[in-house]
Amino acid sequence: MTALVAELREILGAEGVLGRPEELFVYEADGLTHHSARPSAVTLPRDAADVQRIVRACREHGVPFVPRGAGTGLSGGAVACHGGVVIECARMNRILRVDPENRIAVVQPGVVNADLSKVVAKHGLFYAPDPSSQQSCTLGGNVAENSGGPHTLKFGTTTNHVLALELVLPDGELVRLGNPAGLASGFDLVGAVVGSEGTLGIVTEITVRLMPLPERVETLLGIFPDVVSACRAVSAIIRSGLVPGALEIVDQRTIRAVEASVYAAGMPTDAGAILIIELDGPSAAVAAQVERARAHCREAGAREALVARDAAERQRFWRARKGAFGAMGRLAPDLYVHDAVVPRAKLPEILERVCAIGDAHRLRLSNVFHAGDGNLHPNISFDRRDADELARVLKAGEEILRVCVEAGGVISGEHGIGLEKREYMPLVFSDADLAAQIALRDAFDPEHVCNPGKIFPTTRFCTESNPKARGYDRVAFE
Amino acid sequence: MSDAIAALARELGAICTPHAPLALEGAQLEATLRPRSEVECAAVLAALSRAKLGALITGGGTKLAAANAPCRARVRLDTTALRDASEIDLDEGVARFGAGETLAEIETQLAGSIWQLPLDAPGASGTLGGVLASAALGPRFGHPRDVVLGLRVALASGELVKTGGRVVKNVTGYDLGKLFVGSNGALGVITAAWLRLRPRAERVETLIAPAPGDAALSLAAVRAPSARVAALVDDALAPELSALARAPRSLAIELAGDDAAVAADRAALLAKLGAAPAPADVVARLREIQGSGEIRLRVAVLPTGLDAACRALAVAGARTLAFPARGIAYAFFAGSANDAAFGAQLSAVTDAARGAGGAWKLEAAPLALRSGREVLGDRGGALPLQCAVKRAYDPGNVLNPGRGFGEP
Repeated sequence: MTALVAELREILGAEGVLGRPEELFVYEADGLTHHSARPSAVTLPRDAADVQRIVRACREHGVPFVPRGAGTGLSGGAVACHGGVVIECARMNRILRVDPENRIAVVQPGVVNADLSKVVAKHGLFYAPDPSSQQSCTLGGNVAENSGGPHTLKFGTTTNHVLALELVLPDGELVRLGNPAGLASGFDLVGAVVGSEGTLGIVTEITVRLMPLPERVETLLGIFPDVVSACRAVSAIIRSGLVPGALEIVDQRTIRAVEASVYAAGMPTDAGAILIIELDGPSAAVAAQVERARAHCREAGAREALVARDAAERQRFWRARKGAFGAMGRLAPDLYVHDAVVPRAKLPEILERVCAIGDAHRLRLSNVFHAGDGNLHPNISFDRRDADELARVLKAGEEILRVCVEAGGVISGEHGIGLEKREYMPLVFSDADLAAQIALRDAFDPEHVCNPGKIFPTTRFCTESNPKARGYDRVAFE
Repeated sequence: MSDAIAALARELGAICTPHAPLALEGAQLEATLRPRSEVECAAVLAALSRAKLGALITGGGTKLAAANAPCRARVRLDTTALRDASEIDLDEGVARFGAGETLAEIETQLAGSIWQLPLDAPGASGTLGGVLASAALGPRFGHPRDVVLGLRVALASGELVKTGGRVVKNVTGYDLGKLFVGSNGALGVITAAWLRLRPRAERVETLIAPAPGDAALSLAAVRAPSARVAALVDDALAPELSALARAPRSLAIELAGDDAAVAADRAALLAKLGAAPAPADVVARLREIQGSGEIRLRVAVLPTGLDAACRALAVAGARTLAFPARGIAYAFFAGSANDAAFGAQLSAVTDAARGAGGAWKLEAAPLALRSGREVLGDRGGALPLQCAVKRAYDPGNVLNPGRGFGEP
């Protein structure tokens, strides 16, 4: 490893390679703090050529490598679980081109999500995927995770907004996939790479689609006696053909945590749930949509259905949702933000079961979720230093996934599988299904050296299915 | 009947119908295989892989000429009987259909609901499986990949696999659905799909106007929020539209959405473009034109490059149907071209697309003109990766041999 680090320093200069324990410490985990492993070194490339040289050096030394954006991921996807080299893309943070007439932008992977929307706002455009971490997460990380956000319901996830990619393959070759015009020749490899959690290569340039800022945005706040009636309103809205930009539910436990924190938004702590509805579009249409949405809320049992009167009030409504994770941080040293999806109509039943699971394991569990997508985020506040509590958190997490899958759902809506859920993939996929996914991995990375140990279960596959694979995926993660 | 076909017929029974050699896409097909379920489809593929027999995979047959040639298949795999029970969830706005269902049949099943399937049917016989496998585009809706939530796929190995699911948001594992959609059956046979439906528009209006002389004005106009279709049509392709527009080139627009939004856009376009109301079947006519022509190429460029691309296509002798908001043009050439003339036309088109940073695809041409040519677009530096993906899913090359990207 020492020889590799020396070679990497030759490539990147001393400032481009981190190797001291105190430097490596911050790269041990991403946003999922209870999975951690120290990388052997961290590299800070400035461009695609640097990434190619890093990858080739790692290959020569037989060392795996792990791409990383801002480290805000929530499934352990950026953890070097085999002690390889982290390729941190933070310095590749330039917006290379904005083409407002064609509504596209070309960026390096280290550009922060929210920064792109800020830069293009003067052209009346925005970048639609808006994960909760958008103030710090990077577009390269978003591509790896196929990130969503509250506005996925209307605008889709990252995959719907990426037109082309430049990618360093696991053998060090540089390829361009896709086309800015959106219709490239051959198989849709851009679609395959987006959401592959950094296992198929390292993205070095991204061409994204921009969207016109809506003429008018209205934000509603429905205050409900319980989660069930809030879910009923969501179903009625969807069934009526309305397509809101966002439909977000915050449960009572979260409301109380938020109101007791610096994020307090003036929400009634006796409410069973609040529903935030965002409607956007042409001015002529939005006014009528607002009235329809309010009527659905009232019919579903809302005690109030308020419309934000100005931008400040809109931000206040959203603070109740976006402040949830920060507020939870007050309750315990660690927060496990779980992620699963169920058919929307099953939300009331599943939420009840999720809360029961939390209670049965004596955990502080609360819910904020993308109700319009059926995307649950049970949040569990805990202390990972308490081994017993950590074990209960993990057990509850597994039970929640099983309940969601039984209801026709899946085990991740936007956080990815990473290390966190790789052993649960067989809940959703058969051996043949997983083998078909690994076939894609083999086509890109036959030796499984690029971000090994992620997505696929450790107990099967990998070297069994592909004799060329070096076996990194099989090493049990401690 | 050859020994291999006889053995296949014995193994597959009623699924396999041997027949006299049938010339199709350059192949001499000796049998037609018609599985009636995904299990039968998987069994067919397993048998073909064992026997090393290539299959020409067909749906409704509307896109047969949109692939490389000649086909090296020995049998035809007809997917139109893959009609496992449909499941429509009107509360969720999602539905599952078998690959053999035609889009017209699906629309019948959704009739009376608020939902529609946002896919354009490429002709009456177009099946769901065919539309997804060929990523068929139409005038009205977006790319089929954005509609797919999950797929059931029979692989060349004979395995049946699923990708994705029935929920509207999902990052569980690789998104293989993207890979299979648009793969022209080269990686597996889609047997069924979970799809995201779209609410029907409250109001739909069709307008027609003389094509604006200024491309920027044209682009701005067709980006009206409720504009669902906007197409520039050459007179020779649709004289009746030119007559309505009272201009040699017409701009046909369909507005769809909330009543108020459509009304506002309609008023603005009538004033800005001198547009007039048009019959509702104009969009069906556009779809018909889009699928017509003995030699037809599709060019995709950035929207601001479309005008120049259309001019280059006109110089090369093509009539064009163009969708300014999407940067897509369909170029129609006279059908009597000989090989040399066609080669020159193709070069002109590909140069125009490449020059505008775009992509091209030959969507239709006589077999003789396609033979030995790459017709699916520029190969580019990712070709080795594309080939690696093909080998990973179809190592024996039994799925549409000779027809895939990079094959001739």
